[in-house]
Amino acid sequence: MRDTPLSNCERDFLLKAIQEKKRLDGRQTYDYRSIKISFGTDYGCCFVDLGKTRIMAQVSCELITPKENRPNEGLIFFNIELSPMASPAFEMGRQSELLVKLNRQLERCLRNSKCIDTESLCVVSGEKVWQIRVDVHLLNHDGNLMDAASIAAIAALCHFRRPDVGIQGEEVTVYSTEERDPIPLSIYHMPICVSFSFFQQGTYLLVDPCEREERVMDGLLMIAMNKHREICSIQSSGGIMLLKDQVLRCSKIASVKVSEITELINKALENDKKARKTGGKFGFAESLPQERITALKTDVSPVEMSDVKEKANEIVQRAEVPPQTVPSPVLTAPGTGQVGEGLENSWGLKEEEEEEEEEEDETVELKMELEEGHEEKGRGDVVVISDSDSEEEDVVILNQVTTKEKASISNQQGAVASKQQQQQQKKKKKKRGQ
Amino acid sequence: GMAANMRLPTIRKQVSLSSSLSALDGKDLVVPGDVITSDTGFMRGHGTYMDEEKLTASVAGEVERVNKLICVRPLKTRFNGEVGDVVVGRITEVQQKRWKVDTNSRLDSVLLLSSVNLPGGELRRRSAEDELTMRDYLQEGDLISAEVQSVFSDGALSLHTRSLKYGKLGQGVLVQLSPSLIKRQKTHFHNLPCGASIILGNNGFVWLYPTPGHQDEEAGGYYTSLEPVSLSDREVISRLRNCLLALGAHKVLLYDTSVLYCYESSLPHQIKDILKPEVMEEIVMMTRQKLVELEG
Repeated sequence: MRDTPLSNCERDFLLKAIQEKKRLDGRQTYDYRSIKISFGTDYGCCFVDLGKTRIMAQVSCELITPKENRPNEGLIFFNIELSPMASPAFEMGRQSELLVKLNRQLERCLRNSKCIDTESLCVVSGEKVWQIRVDVHLLNHDGNLMDAASIAAIAALCHFRRPDVGIQGEEVTVYSTEERDPIPLSIYHMPICVSFSFFQQGTYLLVDPCEREERVMDGLLMIAMNKHREICSIQSSGGIMLLKDQVLRCSKIASVKVSEITELINKALENDKKARKTGGKFGFAESLPQERITALKTDVSPVEMSDVKEKANEIVQRAEVPPQTVPSPVLTAPGTGQVGEGLENSWGLKEEEEEEEEEEDETVELKMELEEGHEEKGRGDVVVISDSDSEEEDVVILNQVTTKEKASISNQQGAVASKQQQQQQKKKKKKRGQ
Repeated sequence: GMAANMRLPTIRKQVSLSSSLSALDGKDLVVPGDVITSDTGFMRGHGTYMDEEKLTASVAGEVERVNKLICVRPLKTRFNGEVGDVVVGRITEVQQKRWKVDTNSRLDSVLLLSSVNLPGGELRRRSAEDELTMRDYLQEGDLISAEVQSVFSDGALSLHTRSLKYGKLGQGVLVQLSPSLIKRQKTHFHNLPCGASIILGNNGFVWLYPTPGHQDEEAGGYYTSLEPVSLSDREVISRLRNCLLALGAHKVLLYDTSVLYCYESSLPHQIKDILKPEVMEEIVMMTRQKLVELEG
């Protein structure tokens, strides 16, 4: 079926956000989505996740007669398939423009760059050569298919092992995997495609566009490069005019990204090799984590923690010393006592802090162990800051509603605790602000 | 990197919903591959197939049995329209004498030129001029509310907007949810007491808009007000939208009462906090508790 067209307001929103240097998923302009590479049980099977875009590549080989004008060289055949499970717009067997474009680009990137030594694929010159076939299947379309396809293809080719061949005179024996270990392909370099999408006639550029961003882009520049900073192929589509320095800038960005991605592929190959050697579990089924929450959760995101301690100290130093708290409780009326309930703050000393807290969004409650008055920090998303300037490991962040708890704490610990509270609160505020 | 939102673990409010579990007793949920029955006396309906004399489910959903017919109604599916359903759709194409509307079904729905109210009254004959000026009424990308008039043999829906309450939609927010979450009711247009109006389209598209004041009724559904919407109205609509997303994430049946209860339960929280998983869960649990109390 035809894909639902993007609504006008969504298009306007995306373009406006790009003008303000904002992306839908919060990435920066040059950020890639998280790439996950895993291999299957067979040699040559590779799954790549680029954000939500999911691609599988499978490499296989067979012996065929070579081309007449190149009797010494093996053949490589690429085939990309857009599976209907990737997007409702894709139909099985329909030769769409996108498909042709992707196929051509993959061929240009991997075949014309001569990254694979085809002469090593020759068995008997003029008669039998290996034909390597790379099938790339798209499993989910969330933008930037070319990059993911190139990563999957090259990783699968690096992972693949072809059967060993023995030649005795006229006889050619192909050994099965049980008889002799299969041999990896001889790969000179790993070309990786990096896609740049342009908006507003080339004014704004984004690396690794997601599906929404692709729908509103004006043009696309694909640079295939290897880690030795050699450009294997460049293609610009969409008909936008690019300036020379724009293209040069893109190639510089591409070289950085390519070296990162090549690192990643090598690491994944290493891990897989190690797992197979030690007899550990490998393969696609093992790479899927079991027993994890799949709905209603947020993804793990890395947090910049490099200079938190200095920042926290700065805040503490700049913070005012809170007034001395009176340890004895103040009763609202003679003969009454309040526990837990009560909306009004009877601890006038804490009013300043509370006003600041009320402006914040977070409502944080804490279970109080009133016997000890201590609680450990460090659950959930919060990182533990080892307090060098406090004796106790207290976490005393309080709900602005339940003021009685504040009262009871200061009742217990007096000035020390309240100073700590303020420090911690200020630290929390700063962290949120980062 | 991007800014991350951190929060400490909080104490969860205990919400007991044991009484509502009885609602699940009557339902028979199956997943693809589950054997429904080995009895050969039943006729197989939609969502089932015969696997070696055993009737097996091919979709994940509820088993429905009508006398001798067994079918499985899927939980997550494209919208299968029936006559009389209210839908909210987006114009995708302008063709000769008709518009194609995307209503989250397997095929685009059809809105014939003869099924719309043209300005100037209802009894006007459609002229050739009307055909040429179709784009002035509805363009690609416009949102409309319509009713299903009939179903074509291939499953495509034929819509009509021949009532003043249907027509092009103006300023508001569209929320796209699964069609199976929308409860079938007598009316799908509600003016919520919290200060906004809602159209719960049967196709899963829910439209939130500011409650219109005294409107010019003769406009006939094509007058879209471009007056600025006040901040308070916009806040109410944003809160409703987040509540709808929360209810949708927890697969709660949507109708005016559940949306309203969810809105009320969400008032202690900030609007943007509603989308946090723990806050979402708390709000939905309170809503479900209130709904159970309403029934019992």
